[in-house]
Amino acid sequence: MKRILIDMDKCDGCLNCSIACMQAHRADHKTSSVYDLDLTDTANESRNTILLDSQEHYIPLFCRHCDEPECVKACMSGAMTKDENSGQVCYDEDKCGACFMCVMNCPYGVLKPDDNERKRVIKCDFCEDDEEGPNCVRACPTGAIYIEEVAK
Amino acid sequence: MRHVIIGAGAAGLTAAKTIRILRPEDAVTVISADEYVNSRCMLHKYISDERDEQTVSFVDEDFFTKYDIQWLKGKRVTHIDSSARRVSYDGGQLDFDTLLIATGSNSVTPPIGSLRESENVFGLRHLTDAQAIKTAAADAQDIVVIGAGLVGLDAVYALVELGKKPVVVEMADSVLALNLDAHAAGAYQALFEQAGCEFYLGFKVTGTREKDGKITHVELDNGESLPCDMLIVAAGVRPAVEFLQESGIAYERAINVDEYLKTNIDGIYAAGDVAGLSGIWPNAMKQGEIAAKNMCGQQEAYTDTFAVKNTVNFFGLVTLSVGEREAQEGDVVYILEDRTCYNKAILRDGKVVGVILQGDISNSGFWQYLIKNKIAVDNIDKPVFKLSFADFFAIDDKGEFYWTAMANEG
Ligand SMILES: Cc1cc2nc3c(=O)[nH]c(=O)nc-3n(C[C@H](O)[C@H](O)[C@H](O)COP(=O)(O)OP(=O)(O)OC[C@H]3O[C@@H](n4cnc5c(N)ncnc54)[C@H](O)[C@@H]3O)c2cc1C
Repeated sequence: MKRILIDMDKCDGCLNCSIACMQAHRADHKTSSVYDLDLTDTANESRNTILLDSQEHYIPLFCRHCDEPECVKACMSGAMTKDENSGQVCYDEDKCGACFMCVMNCPYGVLKPDDNERKRVIKCDFCEDDEEGPNCVRACPTGAIYIEEVAK
Repeated sequence: MRHVIIGAGAAGLTAAKTIRILRPEDAVTVISADEYVNSRCMLHKYISDERDEQTVSFVDEDFFTKYDIQWLKGKRVTHIDSSARRVSYDGGQLDFDTLLIATGSNSVTPPIGSLRESENVFGLRHLTDAQAIKTAAADAQDIVVIGAGLVGLDAVYALVELGKKPVVVEMADSVLALNLDAHAAGAYQALFEQAGCEFYLGFKVTGTREKDGKITHVELDNGESLPCDMLIVAAGVRPAVEFLQESGIAYERAINVDEYLKTNIDGIYAAGDVAGLSGIWPNAMKQGEIAAKNMCGQQEAYTDTFAVKNTVNFFGLVTLSVGEREAQEGDVVYILEDRTCYNKAILRDGKVVGVILQGDISNSGFWQYLIKNKIAVDNIDKPVFKLSFADFFAIDDKGEFYWTAMANEG
């Protein structure tokens, strides 16, 4: 499967990845550009984030689409599934019951409820509709995140 | 090899799928009293008309064909003969090589007044319960709900969505007393009250009055009586073991299992609520998976037994609660509260033993692992609510994350 790999030493915390993610997930992303992206609009939440450890190192937190996904094992509605072919962990908003047990069970704290309504989960979809793949990776200026094929 | 699974819930269907993947050639049969696959956690959405028989399912419509699993639905198991290795149900018998009992629990109605006999008293555990509640609620005005735990409030929430204003009686002094501290619980109580519900907290139901087989009033220990034309009892559950008599399978309140989820009989396993190790969905799924692996000869122990964890979401107010909710003497308690949130962390000997996050539970999954793995945080130079996975971050060569603190502890 494909995974976004992380080279922490290269991350300088610019958050281009988060901006690209917000742009890629705004409702009108196909007809708009990042130049008029409203960064304060909570409808455009980023699926990734960069955290700081106590030494102020940048720690890019991106969904791993885990081999043994705890979010899938916690899901009571069938919304969260591991795609047997692509290896991605997929989230179906229509099926979701908004119980947020996936948020509780993600060992890395990647997932969150949406800020606006708390009715869905904000989760990396690997930019499934975008032929060019994940926008965060393309936006990273330092190569701190890159895509690689890893064994399932 | 024939694997038989009793129960089409979280544990049963996870096991069925796991066996199919591990053993493409084996026969897998699921038998369930349920006629529709349903997630108990979504039954309130059925009552409130948000979902129907199909959309309360937690698996795809083609699940049984896709995984080549035989499903005997709407069949109740009445007896297990563990020496003949045979299951009897209403309508037939099934032979098995391995058996998984994943029958969940049933709601318990306390023997107070005529609660157990009256026709307008309902539990909420099965889709059939939700169907009955929905039908009865259509004509009901005065609805009393006994028990303000998660199941009781699920029922109340659904009824509120239907425009009802239930009255809730609860023995404890706060709602969700097993899940939250009083402060966090109070926020939900206030929201339910705003929606028109009334709460009798710290009260016991002592009796009932009835007419024509129906309860018309419930009596409380303060002498008050509440009129009702319908009652929902959410006062606890009991593992569904009623068919185990004379089966040779050992059980007390729940089925006795070892760390591989095997019963006292070789080849017979139990998983989910009926094994008594937990009463929550994620653990039932995990137990189903692990029991299935063992049924296929892949020895694996059930080690992730931590079960003191909940998320709550009513009226869009979300809460995460993991571990202990009230501090003991000597604990250090951190509280961070503002208009939008209430966060509480309890630390003992430099480790977090409990956390409640209400209002914003973004990126909060790491807390469970911090708590259940008893990872020290007093050596991290950060305010407690700024802790995140960044402080324990490690990544392997396949790009998967893991916890450094756990690696250190071996
Ligand atoms: C209203 C409600 C809300 C809940 N909300 C949450 C929540 O938000 N989060 C959470 O973690 N947990 C929640 N739970 C608990 C969760 O649903 C259970 O822990 C989980 O369903 C347990 O799974 P299981 O497979 O053990 O049993 P179940 O899912 O209950 O499945 C049991 C299966 O066994 C079948 N069965 C039983 N007896 C027989 C028999 N004699 N013969 C044949 N078949 C039989 C049943 O028909 C059913 O198919 C909730 C429960 C309820 C009732």
